[in-house]
Amino acid sequence: MLVSVKWLKDYVDIDIPPQELAEKLTMAGLEVDEIKVISPQFSGVVVSKILSVAPHPSADRLSICDVSDGAVTYRVVCGAKNIASGDVVPLARIGATLPGGYTIKSTVLRGEKSDGMLCSEAELEIGEDASGIMHLPRTMALGNSLDVALNLTDTVLDVNITPNRSDCLSMIGLAREVAALIGKKLKKPSVKLKESGEDIRSLASVVIMDDDLCPRYTARIIKNIQVGPSPIWMKSRLEAAGLRSINNVVDVTNFVMLEMGQPLHAFDYKFLEEGRIVVRRSKENEEFTSLDGKSRILPADTVLICDGVKPVAIGGIMGGVNSEVRDDTQTILLESAYFHPASIRRSSRKLAMPTDAAFRFERGIDPDGVIQALNRAAKLIAELAGGSICRNYIDEYPRKIFSAHDIPLRYDRIKKIVGTEISARDIKKILTSIDLTVKADGKGRWLVTPPSCRLDLTREIDLIEELIRLYGYHKIPLTLPSISVSETKSLPRIELEGRIRRVLTGNGFSEIINYSFENPLSADILNLPLSDRRRQTVKIKNPLSEEMSVMRSTMVYGLIETAKRNINNGSSDLKLFEIGKVFLSQQDALPDEMNMLSCLMTGRLTDTFWHIRSMADFYNLKGAVDNILFDLKISHCKFKSDEGEPFLHPGKSCGIFYYDEKIGFLGEIHPDVLEKFDLRNKLYVLEIKLDYLAEIWKQNKIQFREITKFPSITRDAAFIIPDDLESAKMIEIILEQQEYLLENVIVFDVYKGKEIPENMKSLGLRFSYRSPEKTLTDSETNTIHDRIINKLISVTGAKLRS
Amino acid sequence: MISELQKLEKNALAELETAETEEQISNIKTKYIGRKGLLTALLRNIAQVPDAEKPVYGKLCNELKERLNDLFDEKLQKHAANRKQNLLLKEKIDVTLPGNAVWCGREHPVVLVRQEICEIFASFGFSVVEGPEVELDYYNFEALNIPKDHPARDMQDTFYISDNVVLRTHTSPVQIRVMEKIAPPLRILSPGKVYRRDSDISHTPMFHQIEGLLVDEGISFGDLKGILTIFLKKFFGENTFLRFRPSFFPFTEPSAEVDIRCVICGGSGCRVCGQSGWLEILGSGMVDPAVFENVGYNAEKYTGFAFGLGLERMAMLKYGISDIRLFFENDIRFIRQF
Repeated sequence: MLVSVKWLKDYVDIDIPPQELAEKLTMAGLEVDEIKVISPQFSGVVVSKILSVAPHPSADRLSICDVSDGAVTYRVVCGAKNIASGDVVPLARIGATLPGGYTIKSTVLRGEKSDGMLCSEAELEIGEDASGIMHLPRTMALGNSLDVALNLTDTVLDVNITPNRSDCLSMIGLAREVAALIGKKLKKPSVKLKESGEDIRSLASVVIMDDDLCPRYTARIIKNIQVGPSPIWMKSRLEAAGLRSINNVVDVTNFVMLEMGQPLHAFDYKFLEEGRIVVRRSKENEEFTSLDGKSRILPADTVLICDGVKPVAIGGIMGGVNSEVRDDTQTILLESAYFHPASIRRSSRKLAMPTDAAFRFERGIDPDGVIQALNRAAKLIAELAGGSICRNYIDEYPRKIFSAHDIPLRYDRIKKIVGTEISARDIKKILTSIDLTVKADGKGRWLVTPPSCRLDLTREIDLIEELIRLYGYHKIPLTLPSISVSETKSLPRIELEGRIRRVLTGNGFSEIINYSFENPLSADILNLPLSDRRRQTVKIKNPLSEEMSVMRSTMVYGLIETAKRNINNGSSDLKLFEIGKVFLSQQDALPDEMNMLSCLMTGRLTDTFWHIRSMADFYNLKGAVDNILFDLKISHCKFKSDEGEPFLHPGKSCGIFYYDEKIGFLGEIHPDVLEKFDLRNKLYVLEIKLDYLAEIWKQNKIQFREITKFPSITRDAAFIIPDDLESAKMIEIILEQQEYLLENVIVFDVYKGKEIPENMKSLGLRFSYRSPEKTLTDSETNTIHDRIINKLISVTGAKLRS
Repeated sequence: MISELQKLEKNALAELETAETEEQISNIKTKYIGRKGLLTALLRNIAQVPDAEKPVYGKLCNELKERLNDLFDEKLQKHAANRKQNLLLKEKIDVTLPGNAVWCGREHPVVLVRQEICEIFASFGFSVVEGPEVELDYYNFEALNIPKDHPARDMQDTFYISDNVVLRTHTSPVQIRVMEKIAPPLRILSPGKVYRRDSDISHTPMFHQIEGLLVDEGISFGDLKGILTIFLKKFFGENTFLRFRPSFFPFTEPSAEVDIRCVICGGSGCRVCGQSGWLEILGSGMVDPAVFENVGYNAEKYTGFAFGLGLERMAMLKYGISDIRLFFENDIRFIRQF
């Protein structure tokens, strides 16, 4: 809310500079976002007195004036007619600048020298009157700068009002706070008014049909008004608050809304058929044209203000074109009502009409302030637009609006929450400074009643907050809680993720974080079949864009996009990983959220150009998985080639299994998918379900095994086998023989080409034999080794390569 | 005879001085103290020495032999060492060529900051918990004292999955889920992704928060100030200036916004702090009794405080990052800087 300090001073004597005021408000929970100084758009204009006016010898329309600023007398040629000797007027001296950047120079007009310019309101842009020179009070001291003399400079504070403080959406509400903060009294404006003529009840009636939406509706009628422009003081106040001046009647309703926080509406009485106001909820598909000229279909249950026949306003949100106050309006019906906050909020959101009135009603207005605002506005309209206020007012108040009173407040509870002692005297003083009524109940408690505008104060804790907010958070000493043991333990997965990060960064992978939402087309781009579970995505109803409208069900799409962005930026050697969630929609209200690890590799393996230059391939990425599994001490993982993914190269991909559970996949991105991304680089990706991995890891216990002191004996053997016989199968057959002296078997060579028949390969295996009890002899070793090899050959048909 | 010995020593030393190769040294060694060497010859001549001098002469001969032997060997060793050294130097490589390591990868800056914060709070006994990112309206709003049609919902622009399911707008719902399951005392930290329908230079539709909650008997606002002060000083440095300022969150009361003196300008006012000299760092407050009632805690017996902060903001201030969108563009040149 924009708060003019000058305006605020109408309600409280502020004797500190605006900067300090802003600081105090901020530290009391009314954060000042910005401090703006508003100064007039002119300089060098002073208060001066016309000493004489004489006709210009050669121009009928001009006159020559002698003007004094109290020290010097200037001769000024002037074209206005409304001046006479003795008038006090604004003088722009030589060197003065006027709005628009115009600088006053000494000139000669029709042969007569002119050393300055007398100004109109319009020329100074402090009013709209351009008909003649502005007249100032004759008592004004000459020579003073005009902006000082007229107090035109103002400071405007942009105060961020939190949703709980509806009472501070008004000047008086803020003034109440300021008064408490600087130890001054709040001065409320006068609401005394003079009634005359007919009784309102002979002219109008109010019926509330739906008191759940509108528990209170009050009205006054003002006759014989003259609609016209508002005075400068009114205009400048509205402008400082960010509102545009419209006419003296509408301006008063806005002014009182800003002053007291009660939105008001003025109807042109002659358009109210039968002189009746009927408040009811809208029916389905009712149409209405509001003041902004737009025709709208209203949602059901909107509060409608109707006359005897038709709707005339959307209650609490905006009036209608059909009953708008215009230049020829003579009689108005002024409305001051209380609308139900949630109902206004629903309607204003559905209608997309976040008006100033709706903003206040939905946060809650002072239920007891309705009449005061009605009277204040009636009084001001009568003052500014002439007119007479009809006798009495209508106050339909069928449903009592809740306001809290006698809230118990315990002294020891205050200490318990705050952690320090505040004296009973201070507590009472602070609470009464913001108009709370505090009574002692004689049992160590106070009974506190807040003013009706403080809808946010209903419970003891609300009062404690008020207390320490004004006491000052800075005065509460720092303490530390004593340690007590909590039952919660950190999740094992968090630790697992830390270890994986360590392994992967050590292996050269850098971590990325992609948005969780992505393009719904990603499933098609990744060639996911229609039956794929990952097509069961979670869709956002109100996405920022279509490209960000579904929650990702795999991280692969985002990885490829990130790789592409980096490649386009000139970084084509990449090792990336991401740890995060994927989302699959399911029967439950909430989707299945799975924690995933994903990696991507492309380009060169190292940055060392002068040394070995090898390119990332399937086995490099598989090595990263091996390293992770080694670090976690998880064995028994299998890589199955026929369990790849539709977006992976069918010959260079596999599923990662823990026993029969598929925990992830690994492979080269399918060339068709790359083509859709317009990429030529080979990309290798993997994705692993971290929740599974954490489960497996959690059950791991590391058990030390004795290191044998006897040497091992190795034997190499190469087998010629069909291409599609996988090394893992060969090793499996070897291990199945359960020769306990066989310590290890590894692949040391894979060869295709010369000497090897087509569709065959040579697989070199290195066997290590060791006994925990003794040094094995050659012949002992050979016996076992031959047994193993013969079995292998008989099972697979492999040929031993000599 | 003794003077002969002295002469011999002088000659030997002079020759050794001029010797340049190992061969020359060996030759000199043989010449003087070899089996047929000059000194050996002199020793053999002992017969011609008067009997009274014989012991002295013999002793001098032996001493001289030993001394010369040491000198020759010393010089020989030096030469041998030099030869080896020269051989090795022929293998000299260019040590300024870049190393051939697999370059380390880096963790994402948001993760680094998260870890640092989690470690600081671990020292206060906080453990890390998590909750879903797609959340029921009840947990994200209602249980946190933010009813439907309440203006406090304006504070966060929400992505909806359905009328009752949202992308969580803060990590606070985890508080509720944990309190529903576990009785006090409680010290938990819940980091994670949150989502708000907002996208401009200072907002991304997804970002990260950490929520903390401490519930026990006798926890006061002073404790909130104490813990958060220590935390911020550990994170931003011992000389960090901070202030606690009243604010409003529906699920805490009293609520406090915590500001630190601007780390960029030191408080004189700059673009980063919007000329105020202060930076909003975290929101906090005493848990509202209504929240305790929603999870079945005894609000008379237990009190507690909660706080929440944005990890991107912390990382931006710590590392001087100017644009929040950089965190999710994942340019490798960005990530490798941390």
